[in-house]
Amino acid sequence: MPPDGKWVRRDTGPVVRPYAVTGGRTQPAAGEVLDVVAVVVASERSTAATDDPLRQTPEHRKILRLCQRPVTVADIASDTALPVGVVRVLLADLILQQAVTVVRNRPTTAQLPGNDVLKEILNGLRAL
Amino acid sequence: MGSARSNGPGPDAGPSGGDAAGDAAPVLAAHKILIAGGFGAGKTTLVGTISEVRPLLTEERLTTASTGLDDLRGVAGKTTTTVAMDFGRITISERLLLYLFGVPGQERFWFMWDELSYGALGAVVLADVRRLRDCFPSVNYFETRGLPFVVAINCFDDAPHYDPAEVRVALDLDPDVPAVLCDARNLESVKNVLITLVDSISSGASQLAAPRA
Repeated sequence: MPPDGKWVRRDTGPVVRPYAVTGGRTQPAAGEVLDVVAVVVASERSTAATDDPLRQTPEHRKILRLCQRPVTVADIASDTALPVGVVRVLLADLILQQAVTVVRNRPTTAQLPGNDVLKEILNGLRAL
Repeated sequence: MGSARSNGPGPDAGPSGGDAAGDAAPVLAAHKILIAGGFGAGKTTLVGTISEVRPLLTEERLTTASTGLDDLRGVAGKTTTTVAMDFGRITISERLLLYLFGVPGQERFWFMWDELSYGALGAVVLADVRRLRDCFPSVNYFETRGLPFVVAINCFDDAPHYDPAEVRVALDLDPDVPAVLCDARNLESVKNVLITLVDSISSGASQLAAPRA
């Protein structure tokens, strides 16, 4: 935090109320709640769906572009500068349209990653 | 592994740019580590020291944060609570990402904790010895949830020095919870904190996996 109080984050405060881009909806239309680290990817049909301006807002299309390869909900939120909750609502729309599929939702609490994954994380951290 | 294929133009590619061989993409896995601790304990610094930091906006209800509610003693210069969450990403490999989430310590943000801690790998509780009681709620929370955590005592330049053992007693930590000194500004130090956490998780996991040992 800079002492001079200068704004360092371009999206510290949105100009438009966050849920305006969801048409006021604060709850995802359907499906399981996506974790912040859930991984999603555009499905095969996504290119066709992209062309439907009635079903997709610019934000939907922006998200769809980011989903051209597997990506986390957190990264989408960060890249689009949209709040996580808004991204969830828009992603649920895209999942309903079968434009996006969930590759992996959150891990369950009981299911810790295996020792091989932990070892990989340890090695990765040591290499930083 | 071992494919030398380039990943294409990346997420900026046009909407129909698509000859990307998406099927061959490695399965991406992402894990969460929570960074908790009192207001001004150094969460933002720690996350920034070790990871690629980008803004992550959380729900709008956070914008109702009022400076009048936050205890600013000892943290002069910190006059606002950020709406953007402390959020960092560590790329372990092209198919394994580690995310750090700084969870605000004030009680009114607790609705976020359940969500973020669900399925999380573990947590770091950053402690400031001048305001040790600020991290009681975090310690209680992770103990109750059974989420593995490590206490990292952030060594502020102007703070008195305490031995981790003293802090451990003051916080009444279980013997299996590691407590380490750290400097949130120092990469090696922060690495050590995270390595200590993952180490303790994996020894806990192997105990579960091999109870006869």
